[in-house]
Amino acid sequence: MRALLYAEMLKLVKQSKTYYALMAILVIELLVFITAYYQGSTILDLLLDNLKQSFYFEGTLLNGNLIMYIVLNSLWFNVPLILMIVTSGLVTDEYKDGTLQTVMLQAVKKWKFILSKYIMAVLFTVTIIALMMLSTFVMAYSIFGQGDLVVYINTLNFFKSADAFNRICWAFASGTVAMVFYSVVSVTLAIFVKDSAKTWIAAALFLIITNLILKVDLGVPALNNYFFPKLIDTWQQLFYFETNWLAIGINNTILIIYCLIFVTAGTYFFNKKDIG
Amino acid sequence: MRFAFILLFILTSTLTNAQKIDADLLRIKQRMDSVQQFTANVILDLDVPFIKMPTKAAKIKYAKGKKMEFSSSDFVMLPRRGLDFSLNEIFKYPFITVDRGTETRHGKVLKVINVIPTDNRSDLALATLYMDTRASRIAESEINTRKNGTYNLLMQYAPGNSVLPAYVEATFAIERLKIPLNFMGKDTKIDRKKMRGMETKTGKIKMRFENYSIKLS
Repeated sequence: MRALLYAEMLKLVKQSKTYYALMAILVIELLVFITAYYQGSTILDLLLDNLKQSFYFEGTLLNGNLIMYIVLNSLWFNVPLILMIVTSGLVTDEYKDGTLQTVMLQAVKKWKFILSKYIMAVLFTVTIIALMMLSTFVMAYSIFGQGDLVVYINTLNFFKSADAFNRICWAFASGTVAMVFYSVVSVTLAIFVKDSAKTWIAAALFLIITNLILKVDLGVPALNNYFFPKLIDTWQQLFYFETNWLAIGINNTILIIYCLIFVTAGTYFFNKKDIG
Repeated sequence: MRFAFILLFILTSTLTNAQKIDADLLRIKQRMDSVQQFTANVILDLDVPFIKMPTKAAKIKYAKGKKMEFSSSDFVMLPRRGLDFSLNEIFKYPFITVDRGTETRHGKVLKVINVIPTDNRSDLALATLYMDTRASRIAESEINTRKNGTYNLLMQYAPGNSVLPAYVEATFAIERLKIPLNFMGKDTKIDRKKMRGMETKTGKIKMRFENYSIKLS
């Protein structure tokens, strides 16, 4: 298994697609960062306009934490598509290049082979998010400094700087689970669809439908609470003034269970079908 | 005829009194004016239905004739009204006072007066002051302004003869927030009925003053 993982890592590191994806993510991050700066001052003006009549403000809210929050809002929609393209490529490229047959001629168990693909997809996703987190933190805090965070979720919630930093870190952790879910789904889609272009379309469709369902009331409480599209933005709950850590923990655990279901389904299907 | 004469006497004496500025208020003002400067730490607790904010701390610095200065390592919201301990806002333009008798509040007998500005430039429309005449301090006030709405102040003092309050509670009307849709969290629900009912709400800010350093003249 270790050899398989090493081989997968080598493929990922050697292929130019990985670096294109990294560049694309950095460009998105930079653009989101710039728009966050311009959005930030407008948002604050609108949020605090009414309050200016009654209060003097001391201190600034246009700081690294607000920028990070706006970046978080934008990244979780823009980044998954790129992640899905790269991770699905782990499987579709093998079909396209015909290397799958070559590998299967070796003494390699099919389930181990596909499981290594899943593990590599997860590792790649976590690494990318970690890099993103580190780069945005460095940019946001070095340029805008620290300070209290203001967020509007039903009420105007203020968080002290240290508290805001903790919440943003946890939001990245929760967002990572959602990104891992998308990556796992894309590998599963690749197993079923095989062709890379078709897999990309299927992945994009999955992403769009998930985001649409996220905003729709499904009528049934269980579906509204635990259907996977509803769990994607669990990270937002970290910005409620009274944080329900149990609900956040449950949501992320259920999302991990969904990941395992997709991994099991993909592995089972790959194991059963003929390589041709 | 005799009854009409007595009535005329009472009316005239009331009107004559009304034109004067209350002596207790002048005494309180004089006492407040003796504060040349002060610094204090203030602990702020905001109580507004649509704002959730942790307890904040700030430092305030006052010097007579200068604007009050604030500093804090956090982001703090300080009320525009309620920190005018020197009563400068009231004494800025000419006014008359009307004695409204006494009232017992929080176990204390307080003298109640109305302050009515006689100059149109004053933003003050009417102020009702509740004075602790024995301690020469303002205990409560209801301030109606022309442009900035109405606000109430409740002041509590540390035991002894301190000039400045140890606790101030300012109550004011506040308009509901107008939030742009694109800044609403995905979980934000728009309840139109609730929003309409929230057009104007009452907000409160509680300020606890600690470590006063007061320089008197």
